[in-house]
Amino acid sequence: MEEKYFLAKWLNNEITEEELKKHVSEEEIRLYKKIISASDMLETPEFDLEEALSEIKKLHEKTNVKKLTTIKYFYKVAAVLALIVTSYYFISNKNTNYTTQLAEKISFELPDNSSVNLNADSEIKFKPNKWENKRELHLKGEAFFSVKKGSKFTVKTNLGDVSVLGTKFNVVARDHFFEVFCYEGVVSATYQNKTIKIPAGTSFKALNSSSAFNPSIEEKIPSWLQNKSSFKSLPFKYVIKEFERQYNIKITYDKEFDTILFTGNFTHKGLEIALQAISVPLNLNYTIINEGNVSLHP
Amino acid sequence: MNIKDKIGFCDEENFSNFFRSNSKLLHNYIFYKCGNIELANDIVQDAFLKFWINCEKIITEKATSYLFTIATNLFLNEYSKSKTSSNFKNTLSVNYTNETPEFLLEEKQFHAKLTNAISSLSEAQRTAFLMHRIDGKKYKEIAENLGISVKAVEKRIHNALLNLRKEIENI
Repeated sequence: MEEKYFLAKWLNNEITEEELKKHVSEEEIRLYKKIISASDMLETPEFDLEEALSEIKKLHEKTNVKKLTTIKYFYKVAAVLALIVTSYYFISNKNTNYTTQLAEKISFELPDNSSVNLNADSEIKFKPNKWENKRELHLKGEAFFSVKKGSKFTVKTNLGDVSVLGTKFNVVARDHFFEVFCYEGVVSATYQNKTIKIPAGTSFKALNSSSAFNPSIEEKIPSWLQNKSSFKSLPFKYVIKEFERQYNIKITYDKEFDTILFTGNFTHKGLEIALQAISVPLNLNYTIINEGNVSLHP
Repeated sequence: MNIKDKIGFCDEENFSNFFRSNSKLLHNYIFYKCGNIELANDIVQDAFLKFWINCEKIITEKATSYLFTIATNLFLNEYSKSKTSSNFKNTLSVNYTNETPEFLLEEKQFHAKLTNAISSLSEAQRTAFLMHRIDGKKYKEIAENLGISVKAVEKRIHNALLNLRKEIENI
């Protein structure tokens, strides 16, 4: 095969000088050799490698910094926007909270002048900004409401919801105990997806899976607002819990009494009288161990 | 190739090593094209910077040809603007090892002819020929760097030799 680029092949030692002679004269070969050896002595201009490298590193750092500042700027803007959005959200959705500690009772007014009495260890949460459109609040514990007439007023609890248009009622939602007392007007309660109408002078009580109506309430306001706690056929466990809340103490007692149904009341005004009120009916004695601990025993 | 190969060039140490083993060749390559040292300096800087910025996209096997592609594109942009004529008379120097006076004179005359002839070569022929002679690159390596076939390199080198001889004979 005729080699087209014989000079390149010869230069690369792929063909011998003899083979090259088929294409070019000896005179030319001599000149080629001279050209090649002279070319090999050529030197390119100096290139300061390290200086060029450090220059590139400097420039690279700048581009990186630029990138970084753009990113930082972006994050700044994003952070400010996020702050605006969240603060708007929080302002418009800001909850007002009322909470009571153990042995504490408070009363306050809602934005529509409806009044609320909050029993010990309870919490009410609502959004004042939305109150005008939606009278709705969340309750944990026990509260008495005296609601001004107007749009639907809803008390939400973990156990059930209570809706009224305007009336006086008491709601307890503690653990598994849900109770609604209606003192005036009509209250509608939703419990386990069932809506129950509770007329004035009656109460609805639900404990675990059993629920019952209890007619005839003589009092105009809940007993706890008169500084006593009244119970009608309530497991002793709940009585003890209420006692502990009202006096901020810890009561130790035999758990076998937990399920005994208790009817009666105790005052919030004197510990010893109150202890008598809950121990005597069960033929128990009490011992005040120290400031925060009481024991009930036979 | 795995991810590590791709991000390898982002690491300053790896980049520096890559720079040290390729920058002189790239500098020469641009210089062969135009004979302009300043332009070669600028393009080497810009090309490596661009290479580093895009380090994440670079595959190890293609790194050198990618670098040469960047440099060639930069050169085409810059060179069309600058309009410098390529003359290698004063820029291609000679390393004399055998310094007898008589020899020197003859050598000097011949080198003057040679650099003149080199200046008159086409850019493609000159680049391929000098990469082979000065940088000691194999045909295959030149082909890879320039993104052409080995046959094309052979053609350029063959014609370079042919033209250099004719040019020198004519002087």
